[in-house]
Amino acid sequence: MKKHLGCFSLPVAVAIGATLAASSAFAQTVDTARIEAAGQNDWLTYHGSYKSHHYSPLAQINTGNVGNLGVAWMHFPGRSTRGVQSMPLVADGVLYYTGSYSRTFALNGATGELVWNYFPELDEALVKRQTHSPYNRGVALGEGKVYVGTVDGRLIALDAKTGRVAWDTKLIDSQKLTVGFTGAPLYAKGLVIIGAQGGEWPGRGPIFAIEAATGKKKWEFLTVAGTEEAMKTWGGDSWRTGGGGGWMPGTYDSETNTILWGTANPAPLYDWSGADYKTQGARPGDNLYTSSVIGLDIDTGKLKFYHQELPHDAWDFDSSVGEFVMLERDGQKLIVHPNKGGFIFVYDRNLAVKNVWRLVQNINFVKDIDPKTGALIGRRDFPAGKVTDPPLCPFIGGGISWNAGSYSPKTGLYYKIGQEWCMTLDIQKTTPVTTPQAQLNIGADFKMAPPPGGEIYGHLDARDPVTGVKKWEVRYPEPPLGSVLSTAGNLVFVPDSRGIIHAYDAETGTELWNHNNGTGHQGGIVSYSVGGKQYIAVTAGFGGMLADEYAPNFGGIYKSMPRDDGALIVFSLK
Amino acid sequence: MKLQSKKIALLSAMLGASLAYAGPVQAQSATPAPDNGTLDVVQLFAGTCGFCHSSGGRAAGRGPQLMNSPRDDDFLRDRIKNGKEGAMPGFGEAFTDAQIEQMIKYIRALKPREG
Repeated sequence: MKKHLGCFSLPVAVAIGATLAASSAFAQTVDTARIEAAGQNDWLTYHGSYKSHHYSPLAQINTGNVGNLGVAWMHFPGRSTRGVQSMPLVADGVLYYTGSYSRTFALNGATGELVWNYFPELDEALVKRQTHSPYNRGVALGEGKVYVGTVDGRLIALDAKTGRVAWDTKLIDSQKLTVGFTGAPLYAKGLVIIGAQGGEWPGRGPIFAIEAATGKKKWEFLTVAGTEEAMKTWGGDSWRTGGGGGWMPGTYDSETNTILWGTANPAPLYDWSGADYKTQGARPGDNLYTSSVIGLDIDTGKLKFYHQELPHDAWDFDSSVGEFVMLERDGQKLIVHPNKGGFIFVYDRNLAVKNVWRLVQNINFVKDIDPKTGALIGRRDFPAGKVTDPPLCPFIGGGISWNAGSYSPKTGLYYKIGQEWCMTLDIQKTTPVTTPQAQLNIGADFKMAPPPGGEIYGHLDARDPVTGVKKWEVRYPEPPLGSVLSTAGNLVFVPDSRGIIHAYDAETGTELWNHNNGTGHQGGIVSYSVGGKQYIAVTAGFGGMLADEYAPNFGGIYKSMPRDDGALIVFSLK
Repeated sequence: MKLQSKKIALLSAMLGASLAYAGPVQAQSATPAPDNGTLDVVQLFAGTCGFCHSSGGRAAGRGPQLMNSPRDDDFLRDRIKNGKEGAMPGFGEAFTDAQIEQMIKYIRALKPREG
């Protein structure tokens, strides 16, 4: 095997057999049933399990001893352009995670020793031309392989034992469309599902299913005008450049044999249609299936059901953020899904609306959303010109961002980050640019602004996931951008933007422990167990589309915070 | 105050001709970037550059404020063409030299918004 440690340009997997110290490593393959069962020692898929709880049933670390938590080991992925944003996965004592440029690592979960690494050769000339690049948000595991997407439009399968490439499938013409893959894939039922970046990029936002065994594409669903019904909701040629996409992983519902996915916003972000958006503006109509949650038959990719959370989204408050939290209440099987606009939607398992509640205070893009039907009430549709009084709330970063919340079956509470901020705009007519390479299509100049009569802040809420009733809240001067973890030890962990990781009592919100990781968080956090010992793993490293707003708007520590650095930090009891 | 760029930003024949409607309602069409034509830089900022350079380049956002930039034209030209890893994409293959010069003129003419 060619050994490769320094040069980025060669795609090489380095396996270090001697470090396979985790005795149970590779003891069993990861398959659909195992992910469904979500064994307590592992973290087998982005959202923890198909139920998307981001919860660990481990309780060795708990409210009584969390004060003794300390750093067990660290790992530096290197070349961390725009920070470290991935969600680590763990199977049988081996931790898998990614850094920027889809640099992929398998590490001994107890010691951090390298098992193997894989640095794909990317189209570096393309990466230099991309805006939303080159961060990566994680891998999927299944059938003895590790799956990772790339910003130049490929999905790659690696042998989980060695890191050797099993297959490498090009799915998107990123050289022309500019977008690729930054989100983690989802493994289910012999397929690897991954959605493209999109939103403000003129394209049609595909979601792909690839055969895990062969790397062959099985189906593709276009989130922009992907059915005859949807085509009728895009006036003129606007469907050709409608945006869409599905850049964060959804989940799989085995009971209905359905892939559940949240879709991105349409382009341009801000339409100048005014109230006549059905017939005027950049993209007349409801613009299906953007800013929607969709259910696709996993075997065929055919649409089974959907709910468009924001018909004709004119504010960039899409549905691709967040998790599909599955739970039961009063005999009903429900799904809880956050929308970027700051609302939480509650659905049945066929995505019929059961309730809608507000996580965020500062919302004025609509007056409200009907909790029974999901219909928007009092929407603000802007003509070309300035939007300043009042500013649009929330800010383009959303009332909710893509960082995951956590649901604890033990407390029955949903722990979720809310963001209170607004923006001024000058909406302008734009024309999508598609050649020689697609360019962003925003549709406005904009700037962050404080909420009317208040200040910008973020908050962790502990709420009933179905009713939205709040039990407690913790506030932060700047919105945290990292994901949240709850555990059976009655703990909630929040890695914040300043670099502090906090542990709270899950019942009361009392802070019990914190630790300074030295740089801002905007990635994942998980818990797992190796050899009977519980670990907490979190990625640190700031930078990117939202984090880059922090230095000019908040100053302070963010002015000197690196945006090309980061690490994986793993904690255990001392 | 009108921006100088508004004067130079004549909507090119390409941009105007692109508004071909395939349906009964108005909608924007897929449009190639102009090869040699002039560029509406105001629109370009609202579509692309302003995602990072807030308020049309008048305020810092994800990218720096461009109004009153202390950088010289050579620096701006190089940065627009080649970008900066992890901070700004390069646009040298998307726009012609003449169009990039128009962007620099726009930046130099930036003034605070009225009202």
